Amino acid sequence: MDIGHLELNPRIINAVKKANLRSARDILSLSDSDLQRLTHLSASNVRSVRSAVALACRSRSPAVTALQLYRGERPALEPGHKLTTGCPALDSLLRGGVSLTGITELAGESGAGKTQLGLQLCLTVQYPREYGGLSSGAVFICTEDSFPIKRLRQLITLQSRLKADCPEDQRRRIPFSDNIYVEHAADLGALQTCISQRVPILLSQGLVRLVVVDSVAALFRCEFRPEETVERARHLLAFASTLHRLSHSFCAPVLCINQVTDVVDPSGLAVSNMGLAETKVLPALGMAWANQVLVRLMLRRMEGHKSVDGWSGTPRKLEVLLAPHLPRTSCLCSIVEEGVRGSFTPGSTPLD
Amino acid sequence: MQRTVSSLPIAPPVKVKLISSGFQYVADLCDLRPLQLSKEAGISQQEAVDVLQEVRGKRDQGVAPGGGLTALELFEKEQGLGSIVTFCSALDSVLGGGLPVGKTSEVCGAPGVGKTQLCIQLAVDVQIPLCFGGLGGHAVYIDTEGSFLVQRVVDMAEAAVKHCSLLAEDTEQREALKGFTLETILSNLFLFRCHDYVELLAEIYLLPDFLAQHPEVRLVVIDSIAFPFRHDFEDLSQRTRLLNGLAQQLIQMATQHNIAVVLTNQMTTKVGNGQSKLVPALGESWGHAATQRLILHWEGQQRLASLYKSPSHPEATVPYQITVSICNPLTVTSGSFHHSSIH
Repeated sequence: MDIGHLELNPRIINAVKKANLRSARDILSLSDSDLQRLTHLSASNVRSVRSAVALACRSRSPAVTALQLYRGERPALEPGHKLTTGCPALDSLLRGGVSLTGITELAGESGAGKTQLGLQLCLTVQYPREYGGLSSGAVFICTEDSFPIKRLRQLITLQSRLKADCPEDQRRRIPFSDNIYVEHAADLGALQTCISQRVPILLSQGLVRLVVVDSVAALFRCEFRPEETVERARHLLAFASTLHRLSHSFCAPVLCINQVTDVVDPSGLAVSNMGLAETKVLPALGMAWANQVLVRLMLRRMEGHKSVDGWSGTPRKLEVLLAPHLPRTSCLCSIVEEGVRGSFTPGSTPLD
Repeated sequence: MQRTVSSLPIAPPVKVKLISSGFQYVADLCDLRPLQLSKEAGISQQEAVDVLQEVRGKRDQGVAPGGGLTALELFEKEQGLGSIVTFCSALDSVLGGGLPVGKTSEVCGAPGVGKTQLCIQLAVDVQIPLCFGGLGGHAVYIDTEGSFLVQRVVDMAEAAVKHCSLLAEDTEQREALKGFTLETILSNLFLFRCHDYVELLAEIYLLPDFLAQHPEVRLVVIDSIAFPFRHDFEDLSQRTRLLNGLAQQLIQMATQHNIAVVLTNQMTTKVGNGQSKLVPALGESWGHAATQRLILHWEGQQRLASLYKSPSHPEATVPYQITVSICNPLTVTSGSFHHSSIH
């Protein structure tokens, strides 16, 4: 916002510039009397400065009604569609798929299959809009292991089995592996540089529309000692706010994969356990991170349960823990050759 | 009880001269002319004109010569304002009929406990026609987190319309139902999205103008006020100052425009004495900002709502649920707050 372009008397604009107030943040953060003191303007002039600055700030996003959002007249605020997960059962659990704005978190124990689902989304995002994708690529930020390139190649070859609705000739035209950008972040500094500099470039050029961070917990848990929780919370909030801003400005879904912590003392738990009284694990990183996510999913291994729909391997359960538009339901799923597939069995009962 | 001269907002030297000349009460000054007053009190003519303007101006505004409203008038005015029902009978009774109009209320809770659900419910319930016990007003929703999803509003609006159509008994109510449909509910809900605290400050500064242009608005929801103020701030004293300023502006709006203001707050962990507990975020001084404070929390698998601070009602805790009525096992169709039994 340029002060010079405001609709005010030039004398007033000069007074504001002389007081070294350049941005909306400087002006709106000061009280009326402070502004008067710094700019030597009268009370009514100060009020007109404030109104002009506030109007300039808000003219970027005018008022809309919920009806306009419902009818899809404001795609910037409400895209009206979601990113498909590739499997109809999982899509119906999420009421359409992964939300395009806001951070979606996928937590689970190691070996549950979180990276699998992340890879699957990197492929579904490349399909055209009519098949549930966003016709764009994905950026996959690895903080733990190296990128599972062999598994990705296997998933690409078997895409026809997973997404049968897309005709073969269209599918052949999509260069799946070319559109996935892999970043490695070995420490927090590298992670912060990655999401504040490199990812915005990819997003602004339209090369990617999905950001996957695998995993969020790894770096934040190892770089801070247990007594440095305040420091860790500050970094977490800064990281989450950058992701949040990117997601909203570019209408790009963000998937953050998280680890879990054991629930040590269920009875003495002063921290909120989100009503999951019988659970043994909770998503990591505590309340500071929990306040930043929009949709929280948990993937669990169901040991000792028989396999689902005739697929081999241990079945998994994908649970919705927290979402503004979804109830607490879950869905049984399995990790098969072509990806993660859910099933419509009666295992999907609401939890409360 | 007459208003004394010493309570008038005029310069102290003038006040001293008036009182020493024998003018104790405002009623003594009412019928004088400026020339008379300046001679009697020994003040200049301009000062006399100002004093008389002050005295007469108040009377012309319809305020009693005593100045201000009496407590009875205030009480009647408050009774007439009404409150917004939440459709959860226990919560409504704890709040004394619903969320009060003309006051600011704060809803705190951990993520996932239902703050956004309650806010969306209120934004729909404020629009219920008068003959069904609602306020028939419009709602403004200021979203800072991006958690306002139209799908949920549609669910709740459909549930509210269905609920009212089941309740409709006489012709007046059936007539009112024609104006209470999904489309009208959605068109009377205004959404503002703010991405950082500067935009939020600008929005709240411009809100009185918006309210003046839309006099049917009866509810302003800010979801959440904590989110933009919890990062980007190194200077916590500046944050406290800005939040206090915001709280003042919101209370002023609530009383001047007869609206209910609802703010959502997050929870943070407070570590002390080797234990940790959850407290509302934004610091101690923010606790004084809202008139009422409702804290939503978990106890085992049950969600509970506690009225933590209120000038007119005792502290109480009630259980509640967020229900979903399932018509088709694979899709979610409607939801609302629903009272469940205490056990």
